[in-house]
Amino acid sequence: MTTKEPEAPPPFIFRDGAIQTVLDLRVYRLTAIQKSAYRFAERCTAVLGSPEADRLPVRFVFGPTIIEQDALETARLFFQELLDQELREQVGDETRALRALIIAQAFSRTDLIRQD
Amino acid sequence: MFHDRSRYQSSRGYQLAPFRFSPLDGSRYIATNDVGEYVVLPREELVEFISHALPPDREAYKSLKSRHFMFDEYSRVALELLALKYRTRAEQLASFTGLHIFVVTLRCDHSCPYCQVSRQAEGRLDFDMSQEHADQALNFMFRSPSPALKIEFQGGEPLLHFERIRYIVERAKALNQVHGRDLQFVIASNLSRLTDEVLAFCREHGVLLSTSLDGPEALHNAQRPVRGGDSHQRTIDAIRRARQTLGPDAVSALMTTTQASLERVEDIIDEYVRQGFHGIFLRNVSPYGFAVRQRASRQYGVEAWVEFYKRGLAHILRINEQGYPLQEEFTAILLQKLFSPRGSTYVDLQSPSGIGIGALVYNYDGAVYASDEGRMLAEMGDFSFRLGHLSRDSYESIMTSETLLTHLSDTMPEGAPMCGDCAFLPYCGADPVFHQATLGDAVGHKAFSAFCKKQMGVLRHLIGLLEDDSRARDILLGWR
Repeated sequence: MTTKEPEAPPPFIFRDGAIQTVLDLRVYRLTAIQKSAYRFAERCTAVLGSPEADRLPVRFVFGPTIIEQDALETARLFFQELLDQELREQVGDETRALRALIIAQAFSRTDLIRQD
Repeated sequence: MFHDRSRYQSSRGYQLAPFRFSPLDGSRYIATNDVGEYVVLPREELVEFISHALPPDREAYKSLKSRHFMFDEYSRVALELLALKYRTRAEQLASFTGLHIFVVTLRCDHSCPYCQVSRQAEGRLDFDMSQEHADQALNFMFRSPSPALKIEFQGGEPLLHFERIRYIVERAKALNQVHGRDLQFVIASNLSRLTDEVLAFCREHGVLLSTSLDGPEALHNAQRPVRGGDSHQRTIDAIRRARQTLGPDAVSALMTTTQASLERVEDIIDEYVRQGFHGIFLRNVSPYGFAVRQRASRQYGVEAWVEFYKRGLAHILRINEQGYPLQEEFTAILLQKLFSPRGSTYVDLQSPSGIGIGALVYNYDGAVYASDEGRMLAEMGDFSFRLGHLSRDSYESIMTSETLLTHLSDTMPEGAPMCGDCAFLPYCGADPVFHQATLGDAVGHKAFSAFCKKQMGVLRHLIGLLEDDSRARDILLGWR
């Protein structure tokens, strides 16, 4: 019996001023992808396609003066940023209610909280 | 609806408390919480921490726990402490608007190409503040709940309308017999008209002076043209006379960075030392007024200014090591935000933004603006930060105006894209006027924001120094 090797992600290919890739939504949440795209807006425009099953096509579109090496580096950094954004989502999920509790406690003896 | 605290206890060793993180450099991350505590740690440890896999005997565990980034079964009061610290940092919001800027005239005797206020020629008396508007502004000011009120006279060159300054100071003191506030007065002036009469008045009423000194003589005179071409000499003479009459600490100075300054930060700092100053504010040019029309604000990018700042700070630290106490004022503000439980009241780095609630501006024509930069923008035809007029609008209508409330609600970085996730948020602000001027809306897309790049560049450098350079840290901690 043979085990199938996990499919390696394709290397980035820079063509016509853009890099095309596909993200696995089981690995990266859509909110993390969107936040990464926003943060990278000065370096490239990340055009998010329509998700199919768990796969989201993404096209990084660069300005006309970009050189291939810089474009590839930007794509690499985008994936690093995605990992950070995923961690932030994780922290947010775990601490969101606690943050609300702390703020409520902080202002509990002020007029800022309606008593009725 | 809130749940009992037992609901928040973790079954995984420890419970994460709310925090944000950002890369500090190539290998380390900085994590901060809502009350301004910070911890620097390598990415591997950050991931371990978030995955609940950080062993309790690790140094990072102790740091994160003592600074309220987590609760474990032994953390008994952490939640109450965090709430108390949060409240302490927010407390100053209740006593809002401590700074009141009176633009007594827009006339000026200098013609600086980087002038951000769009000054008017000396003879244009229609750009002076009337007594009626001065009275209305004073009544307005005393409605502010702040126990400490600072009146700052701005221009143009305010000493060209000294009679109005005299009137406002005397009237404010008379009114204060009833109001009982802690009053302070500052004249922001190029000091070219600092007569003995003005000095005697300043001594009698405890008025402080703030001036512009752009560096050594040739640089200063090139950047601050005045008839006779001797602005530097006039300023230095006036500083000396003011110190003799008012005391050694009665005069402070500001510099503005131009393209010509960029390569000369050491010379500029040395000039401040030569003139006996113990503080210097390294300040980039802002995108308002003549600075835009004459392209002074576009001559260099924010990256160049951050390099200028880093070199300047290194030089200042060397001067301190040699025994002369000198602090960089922007750094001192950031250090306050990093280490003081109350943060800092510096208007440009607040959440919500300090517009209106940190400072109000009474313009020469009776218009009320939410900030000094707001009135500068108005001189360029953008009235986004004009709140109303002293003759037509009441204090209540201005302070609850849709214009002010919308800007305040928009300028809480906690809710802004990118800022909400940024570890530097507790030490940062919003600067809506800058974003309005440069990006066309008050919030601004932070990926394109020079304000964001400046803040991140400076904070990363400063925190790096605090972490890695013990001699720099010792000096910096003395500036708080």
